[in-house]
Amino acid sequence: MIAKLLGAILIVFTAYCYGCSISAVYKNRVKRLEELLLSLEIFKAEINYGLSLLPEVFRSIAGRVRGPIGVLFARTEKYMKLQDGFSAGDCWRKSLQDSEGELELDKDQLALLKKMGPVWGKGDKNDQLKQVALMQELIRQTLQEAREERVKNEKMWRYLGLLGGCTIVILLL
Amino acid sequence: MFNRYHNVIKEIGLFLPPRIRSMVEKLPFELLEQAEEIRLRHSRPLMLHWNDGEAYLGKSGVVGKAKDAHFVSGEDLEKTLELISNHSLYAFEEELRQGYITLPGGHRVGLAGRAVVEKGKVKIFSNISGLNIRIARQIKGTAERVLPFLVDRATGRLFHTLIISPPQGGKTTMLRDLARLISDGVGILGQGQKVGIVDERSEIAGSFRGVPQLEVGIRTDVLDACPKAEGIMLMLRSLSPRVIVTDELGREADADAVIEAIHCGVTIITSVHGSSLEEICNRPVIATLLQNSYFERLIFLSNAQGAGTLEAIVEGERGLPLFSSQSKGE
Repeated sequence: MIAKLLGAILIVFTAYCYGCSISAVYKNRVKRLEELLLSLEIFKAEINYGLSLLPEVFRSIAGRVRGPIGVLFARTEKYMKLQDGFSAGDCWRKSLQDSEGELELDKDQLALLKKMGPVWGKGDKNDQLKQVALMQELIRQTLQEAREERVKNEKMWRYLGLLGGCTIVILLL
Repeated sequence: MFNRYHNVIKEIGLFLPPRIRSMVEKLPFELLEQAEEIRLRHSRPLMLHWNDGEAYLGKSGVVGKAKDAHFVSGEDLEKTLELISNHSLYAFEEELRQGYITLPGGHRVGLAGRAVVEKGKVKIFSNISGLNIRIARQIKGTAERVLPFLVDRATGRLFHTLIISPPQGGKTTMLRDLARLISDGVGILGQGQKVGIVDERSEIAGSFRGVPQLEVGIRTDVLDACPKAEGIMLMLRSLSPRVIVTDELGREADADAVIEAIHCGVTIITSVHGSSLEEICNRPVIATLLQNSYFERLIFLSNAQGAGTLEAIVEGERGLPLFSSQSKGE
C-alpha cells in the first residue's frame, strides 16, 4: 500500500514538474524579449553618447544583461574578435545558431532575432539608431503577444500537468 | 624582411574579406615587399600598385590579363568597408567625411564614391565605389643627412624649415623622420627635444584612434585629425613644444599660426606641395612667408630617383645653396 502511495505521489509530482517546465518556457520567452529590449537600449546609449565600436558595445551589453541574451552578445563579440573576415551579420548568425536551444524562443521570435543580423554596424549613426528603433518596435509587439501567451498558457500547463498526473494515477488504480 | 612581409599580411589581411584576403596571401614576398596600394574598384579588376608598376590579382594571386583578374563586387566593397570600420561605420563619420580611414599599423584606406554635400561642404561619402588601401611604410634614416643643415652650430637651435616637393615626393616621410630624430635625440642635437605634431590628415604619425602607429619619437605629442591653424595654437598653449611639425601649408590661417609660433620661439618644420621655388611663390600664402624670410632653410625633394630624392637645401633668407644633388654629382 505504501509502495502504491509513493508511486502515485511520484507520478503526480513528475507530471506536475513537466507541466511547470512547459509553463516556464512562456515565462522565459517574456523575460528574453525584455532582456533584448534592454540590450537595444544599452546599444543606443553606447553609440549615441560614446560612439563605441560594435565589439565594445556588445561586450558592454554582455556584461550588463544576464542570461542567454547576454551570452548571445558575448558570443557575437567573440566571433568578431577572431577577425576572420566575417561581417557582424555573419557573426550574429553563427552566435544565434549556438544559442538557439538556450534562448527558448519560438520560430517567429527567432526569426525576429535573425532579422537583426544585417542591422549591426550598417550606415551612419542616424541610420543605425533608426534601424535599432524599428527593431525595438517589432520586439515590443512580439513581447505583447508573448505576455498574452504567458497569461493564457502558464497556469494552464501547470494545472494540466497536475491533472494529467492525477488522471494517470486514477487509471492505474 | 620576412617578418615585415608577415606583418603586412597580418595587418592588411584582417581588413579584407576572406576571398580577397586569400588572393593577397598568394602574392610573392618580393612583390608585397614593395607594394604601395591595393585598389578595389566596383566592377573592375582587383589591382596592386607599387612605385613604377602594377599587377592584376586573381584566384591564383598575380594574373597576367585583366580579364582573368577578380572583378570587385559591391559585396566585396561593403564587407571590406565593414571590416576596416570594425563593424562600426557609425563611429567613422568624420573619417568618411574626410574621405579616408586609418588602420592599425598606420595604413590608410582612401574612399571613392558619391559625395553628399551640405552647405557647400562634403558631409559624407555614400555609395562607396572604390577603396584604395595604402600600405604604410616607415623609412627610418631619411632625415639623417638633412638634419646637420638644420641646426645652428653656435646655439644648437633648429632652423625654421620648409620642405618642398611634388606629390609622393617623400615630404611626409621626411617630416616623420625629422620628428623622430629631434624627439629621440641624435649626436648633433644632443638630448632630444619636445616635439608637437599637428597631423591634420593623420599622415605623419598614422594615428589609429588617436594613438600614433608609426615611430615619431619619445618626446612627441600628436594632435591627430586637428586643423593645422587651431592645432598649432593648441600646441603652443598647452603642450609646450620646442619644435612643431605639420604638413601641407595652404590656408591663410595656417600661415598666421606658423608666424605666431615662430614669434613664440618655437621652431616650425613644415611642408608644401611644389616642385620649384618659383612654383610655390605663385601661392600668395607661401610667398608672404618666404618674402619675410620666416623660413631659414628650404629643402627640395623630388621623385627623380625614387620618392624622397634630395635635390637641394637652400638657406632661406639669401637663397644660398647649402646642398645640391647636381653639384654633388659633378
